[in-house]
Amino acid sequence: MQNTITGQAARERQERSRAGGLWLIQAVSGLLLVALLGLHMVAHHFVVEGGLRDFQQVLDYVSNPVIFFLEVVFLVVVTAHAMLGLRAIVRDLNLSPAAARAADWILALVGAAALIYGVWLAAAIQQL
Amino acid sequence: MQNASATRNDVRPRRPLRAWFDVRRRHMGSWAFAINRLTGLGLAAYLFLHLAVLSTLLQGEAGWDRFLQLARSPFFLLLDVVLIFGILFHGLNGIRVALVGMGVGARQHRALFWVLMAIGFVLLAYSAWKVFTI
Repeated sequence: MQNTITGQAARERQERSRAGGLWLIQAVSGLLLVALLGLHMVAHHFVVEGGLRDFQQVLDYVSNPVIFFLEVVFLVVVTAHAMLGLRAIVRDLNLSPAAARAADWILALVGAAALIYGVWLAAAIQQL
Repeated sequence: MQNASATRNDVRPRRPLRAWFDVRRRHMGSWAFAINRLTGLGLAAYLFLHLAVLSTLLQGEAGWDRFLQLARSPFFLLLDVVLIFGILFHGLNGIRVALVGMGVGARQHRALFWVLMAIGFVLLAYSAWKVFTI
C-alpha cells in the first residue's frame, strides 16, 4: 500500500515537473512569437503595396538566406507553440491517461508533419 | 484514503468545454482564459490553412494570382481583421499570462490586462485601417 502511494506520488511529481517544463517552453515560444510574428506581418503585409507580395516578390523575398532562416525558425516556434497549446486544451478535457497519451502522440505527429511539409514547401518555393 | 489525482479531477468542471462558454458569474480572468483558448484554436487552424494557401505558389504565377484576387475581396479583408484581432488578443493576453506565471506583475495582473488590451485596441484600429487602405 505504502509502495503504491509512493509510486503514485513520484509519478505525479514527474508529471507536474514535465507540465512545468512544457509550460515554460510555451511561454518562451509565445514571447518569441511576438517578435517573429510581428516581423512576419510587417514584412509580408504592412510594407507591401496591396498588402500581399506578388509571385515574383515572394520568390525574391525567400531567396534571401537570412529571411529563409528566419521563416523556418518562425515555423518551428509557431508549430511548437500551437501543438503545446492544443495539448493544454486536450488535457483540460479530463481524458483517461491512455487517451491523453494517444492525444500527445497524435499532436506530436501532426506537428512534425506540419514542420516537415512547411520546411519542404519553403525550400521548394526557394527553388522556383 | 482518497488519492491525489481523484481530488484534482474532482475540482475540475465535469464538462470543461461547456464551462468555457458559460458566462454566468464570470470574472475578467475567466473571460480572458476562454477568449485566449478560442483565439488559440482559431490560430492553430489558421497555421494549417496558411500552409495550404502558400502551397498554391507551387502552381506558378497564375495560381498565386488567383489567390491574390480572392484575398483582396472585401470579405477576405474583413477576415484579415478578425485574424489580426485573434493575433493581438492571444499575443497580448499571452504576454500577461507568461509574465504573471513567471512571477512578474502578479499583483497588477488586472491593470496589466487592461493596459495590454488598450494597446491591442489601438493596434487593431491601425491594422484594420491599413488592411482596407493599403
